[in-house]
Amino acid sequence: MEEPDTMENTYIIRPNYQHKFKVGVAKECIREVLKEELTGKQYNSQQISTLSRSVADCIKDKLKELGFDRYKLVVQVVIGEQRGEGVKMAARCFWDADTDNYAQDVFMNDSLFCVAAAFGCFYY
Amino acid sequence: MHSEKRLAMEDTWKTADLEKHIRGGVYDEDNMRRKERRKRDDDRKKVRSGDSVERRHRDREREGHRERDRHRERDSTRERAKLRDPDKDRDHDRQRESTRDRTAEREERDRERRRERERDRVVEGSRTGDRDHESRDKRHERAERDRQHKREETDSRDREREKRRAERDRERGTERDRRREEGRDRERDRERTRERERDRERDRDIEHDQERRREKERHRDREQGHSTKHLNETGRYSDGLQEKYLELKKENERRERHSERDHSRRGEEKEYREQRRKEKEERERRQREREAHHSRESRRQEEKPRDEDRERRHREHRENERHPSSNRDGRDRRSHDRSREWRPRAEGDGENGSVEATTEKRSHSGKEKDRDKDRDRETREHKDTKAEKEEIEMEKPSAEDPGDEEGAEYYEEDFEDYEDDFEEADESGGEEDDEGDGSEEEKKKEEELSPQNREEIEEIRRAMNAENERAGSSQLWHVVEESKVSKADSDVPQRKSTQHGKFIDFVAAKHREVSKKVASKQKKRSTELLRLVDLDFSVSFSLLDLPPVNEYDMYIKSFGTTNTKQAYVQCNEDNTDRDTQTEEIEVDEKWTQHPGDSGTVCGGPKLMNKASDESSAKMNIDSKRLAEFLLSASQVVAVLLEEDRAEKHSLKKLKSQADALSCSDGCLQLNTKLPFLHGREVSLLSFSQAQRQTLLSVHSPSAKPSAVRLDSKTIICIWSIWEPSCPQKVLVYESEVHCCCFSPGKATLVFAGTAVGSVVVWDLREHSSLHQTLKIGDHDWTLRYPTFSTDAVLSASGHLSSVRSVEPVPAVVAEGLRPEVSLLPTNEESSGLSFQLASLDESGVLNLWVVVELPKGDQAGSQTDLGLKPGGKVKLLHSSTIMTNERSTLRDAVKTGPLRTLLLKFLPSDSNHFFIGTDMGLVNHGTRHGLKVPPKFYRPLEAGLRPVNVTSIDVSLFGEPMFLVGCADGSIRMHSVRSEEPVMDWAGSTDGEPVVSVHWSLTRPAVFCVLDAASNLHIWDLLEKDYEPAATEKIQSDRVTAMVVFGDPAKSNTFSGVSLAKQSGKIEIQYFSKKWAVPSPSELDMLQNLLHEAF
Repeated sequence: MEEPDTMENTYIIRPNYQHKFKVGVAKECIREVLKEELTGKQYNSQQISTLSRSVADCIKDKLKELGFDRYKLVVQVVIGEQRGEGVKMAARCFWDADTDNYAQDVFMNDSLFCVAAAFGCFYY
Repeated sequence: MHSEKRLAMEDTWKTADLEKHIRGGVYDEDNMRRKERRKRDDDRKKVRSGDSVERRHRDREREGHRERDRHRERDSTRERAKLRDPDKDRDHDRQRESTRDRTAEREERDRERRRERERDRVVEGSRTGDRDHESRDKRHERAERDRQHKREETDSRDREREKRRAERDRERGTERDRRREEGRDRERDRERTRERERDRERDRDIEHDQERRREKERHRDREQGHSTKHLNETGRYSDGLQEKYLELKKENERRERHSERDHSRRGEEKEYREQRRKEKEERERRQREREAHHSRESRRQEEKPRDEDRERRHREHRENERHPSSNRDGRDRRSHDRSREWRPRAEGDGENGSVEATTEKRSHSGKEKDRDKDRDRETREHKDTKAEKEEIEMEKPSAEDPGDEEGAEYYEEDFEDYEDDFEEADESGGEEDDEGDGSEEEKKKEEELSPQNREEIEEIRRAMNAENERAGSSQLWHVVEESKVSKADSDVPQRKSTQHGKFIDFVAAKHREVSKKVASKQKKRSTELLRLVDLDFSVSFSLLDLPPVNEYDMYIKSFGTTNTKQAYVQCNEDNTDRDTQTEEIEVDEKWTQHPGDSGTVCGGPKLMNKASDESSAKMNIDSKRLAEFLLSASQVVAVLLEEDRAEKHSLKKLKSQADALSCSDGCLQLNTKLPFLHGREVSLLSFSQAQRQTLLSVHSPSAKPSAVRLDSKTIICIWSIWEPSCPQKVLVYESEVHCCCFSPGKATLVFAGTAVGSVVVWDLREHSSLHQTLKIGDHDWTLRYPTFSTDAVLSASGHLSSVRSVEPVPAVVAEGLRPEVSLLPTNEESSGLSFQLASLDESGVLNLWVVVELPKGDQAGSQTDLGLKPGGKVKLLHSSTIMTNERSTLRDAVKTGPLRTLLLKFLPSDSNHFFIGTDMGLVNHGTRHGLKVPPKFYRPLEAGLRPVNVTSIDVSLFGEPMFLVGCADGSIRMHSVRSEEPVMDWAGSTDGEPVVSVHWSLTRPAVFCVLDAASNLHIWDLLEKDYEPAATEKIQSDRVTAMVVFGDPAKSNTFSGVSLAKQSGKIEIQYFSKKWAVPSPSELDMLQNLLHEAF
């Protein structure tokens, strides 16, 4: 009935190499999505919130297709208007640097900039 | 707390029940629900049966309620203070606040209601003032009865309970664990295969229930002694209770379904209820099914001792329903009832709804205020004013309300261990009820006062919706909270879990257990993993760094390109010119010079240095050869020209000159009036054997100082007799030169023996640039210093005394003495420049030198040949040394001592033989290669040696090898090579004057010239006179210091003569007249005969 608790668990501490979160691949994926979604778009404060959400979802879906097994993915998309102001964005993570990684890409056109960052955290 | 509880428990509970409750949480639910249903049924029945009955029942029930309420309230307040979770409090508060916010009205009503409740309690407590006097009596009766019964039971139960509690305490842990496991199992089973497992679960539950019931039975049996009078009732009641519970459950389900239908139909949102219901629904349904399933079979015989209150109520209820029933029948009937009951209700949607609603309303309006709660609950459900719904809704609150109250009771009495759970559940339920009450009251009011306060109602409705939503969310929130806190100690979560609803606590406990298990698992997992995994803060990733754009850029970006245009310009490409250009012909003027001595052989007005340098370099190579050619050629030309001129000139001179000799055809004087020759005496004259016209004259250093600083030096001048105007070369030597000669071949080398014992060589071919040039007068004179000197040669091989004679060793000549034959080899030899030189010093040392011409001169000077002048090409290598004196003294040394050797002559026909003139009048005969050839020496006719210097020896070039010896005593001898004795000896021909020099004529074999110290020139012709000279010339004006005969045997015509050097330094060349120059055809034969005659 009950699983024997005494049995030692064997954890997968490291992902397989082919399933590891590959920054280059993810970045390319993000780039494609951004390019596809944002090319020719003008900044519109009403629509941009939904747009950013959809972009984030799209990126997440695409990343899931890449087969990062056992990875929990967090996708953050920030879209801002290009008005000449300086912008700085930074991220800091408390994680296992061996397995976890992030990929980010920036899309810019005349009216907006978009920063998309995808963080992949390995689920042990 | 305990005392109160005990009191409460005495009222209602038996120990068996307690145990059952401990075993399984289902029982609680059952109880609660049963109570709910029962109450609801009561209400319904009351409604149906009419006011009076209803009221009575209600009153009675209210009495019980009040009692219970009192307990509950007390407990709940206590518990609230003690145990309420802060979160729940918060929730509760929030809910309260929201309700407060809704309307002041409602609050007031709440307050009122509370006040009423309080009042009730007070009334109960004091047992005096109840508003409803009518019912008070009954209530009192009942209460009395209850109390009696309770008291009866209390004693035994207390004791029992004490024991049991101890037991329970012991068992509690295990019990809980068991329950937890059960819950876990169930949870897991559900997760896996719900359907299949559910069956099994059910079986298990059934077992539990059966066990419980059995226990109950046992308990009841035990209890029978104490409460026999209640036996039937309780038994009946318990059965009925169970059935009722089932019934109620089904009702509930149906009602819920119904209400859902209503909701969907009406578009009404009652979210918080819905959520709660959904949570419960499943569990309830499952339990209900289970219950329904086996209650029919197994519970038939079961009779449970129940609290009197409930029993009574049920009894009443049954009475009201007019279904007095035995256990079994009752159950069946009850189920039947249930269906019956439900039918009208379901139908009521369409038909009876309005009637029921109105009755309901009526009853509500008629109800006392302490019943507001129930009513509120009922009305709250009806947010619409539809009556049909009201009835259905009515049951829901009723399902909760009595449950609340009874649950509280149960809690207090039975579940000491689970106090928290139940109380909290009750509280929350009660609170929700409270909230609901307000809204229900509103609703009611709305229904009543709808025309007036439409707006208000709308507002309220909205507020309610909001409230509902919030409540729903809070419910959710509770769930979350529960899972959060589930890890904490078991009491708290247990308490909380009950918040889901009154009936879920069992399932919730399982839930909790499961979640707890999961949480602990996760915790374990995390601790294990954290050992393996290192978490660290990553470096901050810069996701975007967009620097601010400055104003200008912004401007340019937005407006910079606005006014610009693209302009296009085209050039006419077809308008092109084509031209051809030819390069200009370069014209340059140049000149060339020949020979290119100075290096610039070409040039022009625009002198291009580079070109000239290059051409000059080229020309240099050519110019060297050209220069050589020109040198010889110019010499030839110059000689030719001068010869031509001199011949004419000499002819004129001969005629014009007064001092011409009688014997001579003419004479010419070499131009010795040169400044550096001024005042110098000519000590020696010599003609080259090959170049008969070349003459050298040795000018000994002069005593008088002259303008030119060459006083202490000997000057040798090389003359061409065709070119008498100036010497061709001027040679200089530091010290006095005793003897001098040309090289045997071409007159290119001049050898000299000096007073200091050295032999020096001049190379006449050397370029003038190698020598010092001195400007004397108008002319530049190149003063040539010796090319090679033997001064540097080691003394062993050099001469230790002054060199007396230097003679080139003639090359090997054929045996014949014919001049033609002999001359040719010399010519050939001279070209080769490989010949030997012999030098004889006074001490009789004859050195033989090999003359070597170097292929190339070294401007830097030679390291090995120290005597060689820098750039010189000719040097002398010492070959051998012949000591002529020793040999000669072998025989005569006794008398005379060592001979001074003065002269050296080689035999021209055989260079192996040489003749050395000595100071004793003897001529030594020696050979170079050691062959002793007689005679050893030639001596005069008269015997006995006397010290007479041999001053001159001359070997005849014709016929028999003969030589003339002139001695200082004036005697002249003619020796044949083969004999010691002279052929002829002329002792007094010169009148005692020392003979200076004797020379054979080069053109006539029988003629020779003798010069004596008195400047008399005697010319002998042996064919004419062999006893005295044929002619004697006396030169008085100037003393003749040297004489040499010149002439060319091949060219016998005019070119023969004698050269005379005078003391003043003049050099005269006398051409012999034909008489002396041209030989007769048989002259040599005649001479031969003459000589033979003489012997």
